[in-house]
Amino acid sequence: MPRKAKLEEQISSVTDPRDFLRTQIPELSDVDTLLRCHICKGFLKTPVLTPCGHTFCSLCIREYLNRELKCPLCLAELRESMLKSEFMVSELVTSYASLRAKLLEFLDSSKNSRTVALTSDTSVIEIPEHHTKISNDDTNDDDDIQIIETRESRPSKRTSDLVLMSHKKSRKDSSKSGITSLFSKTKSPPSQQDLANCPICGKSYHVEHLQRIHLDECLTLGALDQPEPANSSSIAEKAPPTPEKSSAVVEPIAKRSIKPSVNVETTHYNRYIESAQKKNVTRLAKLNFSSMSLQQLKNKLSSLKLPTIGTRQQMMNRYNHYEMLWNSNFIDSINSVDERELRRRLASWEASHNGSEPIQRTSAISKFLNKNPTSVMEGFKTDRFDRKGWMRSHQKVFRRLMKEAKEGLKRSRKSRPENVSADEAKETYDSSLQHNESISSETNAVPSNQLLTKADTFATSSQSSTAL
Amino acid sequence: MSLKRITKELNDLGRDPPTSCSAGPVGDDLYHWQASIMGPPDSPYAGGVFFLSIHFPTDYPFKPPKISFTTKIYHPNINANGNICLDILKDQWSPALTISKVLLSICSLLTDANPDDPLVPEIAHIYKTDRAKYEATAKEWTKKYAV
Repeated sequence: MPRKAKLEEQISSVTDPRDFLRTQIPELSDVDTLLRCHICKGFLKTPVLTPCGHTFCSLCIREYLNRELKCPLCLAELRESMLKSEFMVSELVTSYASLRAKLLEFLDSSKNSRTVALTSDTSVIEIPEHHTKISNDDTNDDDDIQIIETRESRPSKRTSDLVLMSHKKSRKDSSKSGITSLFSKTKSPPSQQDLANCPICGKSYHVEHLQRIHLDECLTLGALDQPEPANSSSIAEKAPPTPEKSSAVVEPIAKRSIKPSVNVETTHYNRYIESAQKKNVTRLAKLNFSSMSLQQLKNKLSSLKLPTIGTRQQMMNRYNHYEMLWNSNFIDSINSVDERELRRRLASWEASHNGSEPIQRTSAISKFLNKNPTSVMEGFKTDRFDRKGWMRSHQKVFRRLMKEAKEGLKRSRKSRPENVSADEAKETYDSSLQHNESISSETNAVPSNQLLTKADTFATSSQSSTAL
Repeated sequence: MSLKRITKELNDLGRDPPTSCSAGPVGDDLYHWQASIMGPPDSPYAGGVFFLSIHFPTDYPFKPPKISFTTKIYHPNINANGNICLDILKDQWSPALTISKVLLSICSLLTDANPDDPLVPEIAHIYKTDRAKYEATAKEWTKKYAV
C-alpha cells in the first residue's frame, strides 16, 4: 500500500528529542526540546519572543493570534505588535538543526569505541565510565593513556570551536571585524597570532601547516609523524590502540568538522552580527475590513500586487494571510525573501486553504478517489463527506448500475410469458425500490422495539433513558 | 502544518506512551484517531477500558481536536453521546497542548468529576447528594460496557 508506506516514511522522518536518550549524552534531549516551537513541535522557524518570555515560530504564533489573543503557554494577553524577533535563537536553532544529524550519529557511533575520546570533547564525559569499566582489564595501560590525553586537551578548550577558529582566521586575515578578532584572541593561545590548536591532538601549529598537513596526518596516523616533542606526544603515539579502528571512527569527523560545518558556522555567526543593519521595510497593518468598501479592499490588494479575484471573504483572507507572511518575513526574519517569493507562498497557501467552492469540491473528490475504499466509507459516515460531489464524480458508475439492474429485471420478466417494455421495467424498478424501502424501515423498526423491551428488563434502563 | 504536527504527536505517543492511555490513527487517515483509557484505579471506573474517537480539524493545533467516548460511561461531565465537557477541549484549548496531555486530563476527569459544570445534570445531582449511589452505578456501567 503506497499510502501506508508514505505514512511510515513520514513518521520516521520526524525528529524527536528522545533520539538523544540512547546516546552518550541523554541530557541533549533537553536542548533539543527547548529549541522547538510549542505550536508546530518542529524546530523554531524565525522565532519570536513574547513579553511573557516564551518563544514560538513567527508564523505559528501569528496564525494563532489571529484567533486568540493570548500566549499558548501561559495564557497571558498577547498581541502581534508585542512580538519581538530573536535573531540569536534563530541562528542557534538553524545551526543546531544542521548539526543535529551529525551530532546524533557521532554520539551514537562513538558509544562503543574508546578511541574517540581523543577527538571530541563530548567523549570526555565518557572517559570515567570507561575507566571504571576497563580498569581491571589487560588494556589498562591504553586506557590510562587516553585519560591523560583528554585531560591535556581539555584546558585547550572545545575542539570544534577551535577548528572553527583556525579557519575563520585564515579566511578573514585581511578583513577581520572587531568582534571576530576579539573572539579569536580570547580563544587562541595568547603568544602567537597565527597559531591554532589541532582539534585532534590539541597541540599548537601554524594555521597553514595545521590545515594543509597536520590535520590529515593527525587524523590518519594519530599524530605519529609529528616531530615536535610536546609533553603528551610520546603518549599520544601509543594512544590509538588499533589504528584501523581509530581511523574508521575519526574519518567522518574529519569530514564533518573541517570543511562544511565551518562554513555553515561562520555564516550563522556573521548573519547574526549583521542582522541589525537591515530593516527598512515597514510593517503591514491589520485592516478594519468592516469599514472598507469592496473597491478600497481591491485597491489595497492591487497596491501590494495581489490578485483581486474571488469573494470579499476570500480577499480578506488573502490580505490577512499575506500580512502574516509579510510581517513574519520582513519584521521577524533574519534573512528575508523578496516580495515575489512571498506572493508565491501566498498562492500556494490559497490553493489549499482559500479555494473557491468548486475547486474545493474537485479536490475533495480526488482526495477520496485516492484513498482506499475503507477510508472512503469512513468518510461517508461523517458530515465531512461531500455527497453531491461523490454523486457527480460517479455518475457513470451509477448509470451503469441502474442499467444493469433494469436489464436484470427485464431478464427475470423474460423468463415469464409476457414481454415488458423498458418504461414499464423502470416503473417496476422504482416500485420495487419503494417496496425495499418499506421493508427496510420495517426491519429497522422491529429491532428497536425489541431493544426497548429488552432495555426495560435492565435495572439501569431508567438511568439510560434519562441520559438519552 | 496540521499533518506534520499530528505525525509528530503520533511519533511521541509511540515512543513515550502516557500511563494508562493509548492512541493511534484509524486506518491510514491521520485525522481520525482512536484512543483508549484505562479506568483510573482510584475511581469507580477501575478495571474498565474506555474507547474514544478523536477527530483532528484541518487547522489543528489552532483548533482543539474533537474527542468523544465511544464506550458508554456514567459520568456527570460525559453525556450519552460520549461528548465530554472539558474546558481544554473548548475555550481553554491551547496549541501547546497535545493529545497525550488531553488524554491525561480526561483520565483525571474520571477520577475527579466536576459536578459544578455538568453535562448531565441528573448524574451531577446524584454525584453531589448520594455519592455512594453514583459510585455504584458508575461501577455497574463500567462492568457492563467497559470490561
